[in-house]
Amino acid sequence: MTHRARVRRISRLLAACAMTLAMLTVAAPALASAATPAMPATPATLTGWLRLANLSPGAPAFDIYLYPVGNMDARLVLRDISYGMVSGYEAVPAGGYTVAMRRAGQPASSLPVLSSTISVGAGHAYTIASMGPSSAPRLELLNDTLTTPKGKGLVRIIQASLHQSRVTVTADGHVLVRDLASGSATSYAAVTPRTWNVRASGETMSATDRDTWAADTSYTLVVLDGAGHLELDCLTDGAASKVQPAGGAAMGFGGTAPRPDLSPRWLAGMAGGGLLAAAGALWLRRTRPVI
Amino acid sequence: MTTDPAGLERHHEPPYLADVQVPARARVPGLALRIRVPGRKVQRLLAVAVLAMGLGITAATTVGLLSANHDRYALDAAPARAPAPQGQWAAAPSEAAAQRVPAPVFLTIPAIGVRTRLIRLGLTRSGALQVPRTTAVAGWYSDSPRPGAIGSAVIGGHVDSYVGPGIFFRLRLLHRGDRIYVRQANGRLAVFRVNAVRRYLKARFPTSEVYGPAPTAQLRLITCGGTFDPARGSYLSNVIVYATLTT
Repeated sequence: MTHRARVRRISRLLAACAMTLAMLTVAAPALASAATPAMPATPATLTGWLRLANLSPGAPAFDIYLYPVGNMDARLVLRDISYGMVSGYEAVPAGGYTVAMRRAGQPASSLPVLSSTISVGAGHAYTIASMGPSSAPRLELLNDTLTTPKGKGLVRIIQASLHQSRVTVTADGHVLVRDLASGSATSYAAVTPRTWNVRASGETMSATDRDTWAADTSYTLVVLDGAGHLELDCLTDGAASKVQPAGGAAMGFGGTAPRPDLSPRWLAGMAGGGLLAAAGALWLRRTRPVI
Repeated sequence: MTTDPAGLERHHEPPYLADVQVPARARVPGLALRIRVPGRKVQRLLAVAVLAMGLGITAATTVGLLSANHDRYALDAAPARAPAPQGQWAAAPSEAAAQRVPAPVFLTIPAIGVRTRLIRLGLTRSGALQVPRTTAVAGWYSDSPRPGAIGSAVIGGHVDSYVGPGIFFRLRLLHRGDRIYVRQANGRLAVFRVNAVRRYLKARFPTSEVYGPAPTAQLRLITCGGTFDPARGSYLSNVIVYATLTT
């Protein structure tokens, strides 16, 4: 390799380096903005919801225990839950759980009256209720629906009365369910959002209630035994925004965003570097080899 | 002294005649200095080196300028705290299910010094969440459940204006367990506890977690965060605070 060829090679290499640097300079802001928002991608909610109820007519009050599967330490203990009581929803990590109901006041080591295992899915809600007569209670697991048809409400009915073995429930005369047997539940039905006159009637007893059912909200209507009559209890299962806005929210104008520091030292550095590069280029041009 | 005519001629020859034929050597007149000018090839190498150095310095200072962002609104300083509001707490939503929860009117977040009345927010023509006209107030999205009722109530506020901090400037500083108070129209307080503070690219906004159904009384506070894109005039991310009603 001749001397001249070597010089050409080196200058080409240097020029390539210079080009890379120049490109980096241009690309730096893009790179910086691409790197900054690298935030932890948060997984969707990994919790589900559980609520616990005593819907066995004539049954004693229960202490209700919730154990994660394979764990002897209760995650949740609800004390003295008597007939007709429904807890609020408890958020729990998705996974398997054992529910145990003991007579109120019995030690946690005692044999439960009722127990069952359930699997809680992320983002799902469940109602676990003791149902049926006190002589033969059982644990019923109900899947609760939180997502409604657009602009509608959802209503489901639990028949927890023993006074009346079959109950018909109407809303402003529209039949929601006919002859629902004791200890059973309907699935959810869509309803127009407004205030309804709700009536539950058995063979000899009935109850009325005025309920406002909102859009995008789901409800559970529980028919209970009162003292010589029926009772109606309306529970809210879940509610959502009526309209889900599209995408994110434009909640800032950038007045406090960190911005480039235009201090003279950086500008002087850039100008000096530029001048030096220009001088080098000029020199290179003047000493161009004569062929 | 020679008398040879040829020798006379030689006498007047410059003594460095041989050097003149080599252009790489020159004499600086008036100075008793001789500078050796390097050869063309070496000069070219030096020129390339100067060019590369110049480009390098320019690149380095440009990167420096861009990375040395100065943050005039650094969040290091301890935020001003606001006193917790006094008043009767609202009833748990299950007990209040029969009657409607009153509308929210005022928001207090003691930990970050937020005290603001709440306006109502709707939707923009393109279906996005409307934002408050001023950066000094927060707004409740009126198509979301009311704070204290079952479901996720949504409150939005600006992180900043064109010139300085907005009402939710310090929202990202909230911690798990911090309390949020929403005063209802009847004077009662719905009190929430922070579960999590998260940041999402707007392109990956968790719509169902914010606006979707929930079986308990929740609160979502929304503002902007992350990198500001001057070209679009907007932040690339949203900061969301998740909170649950405490009773």
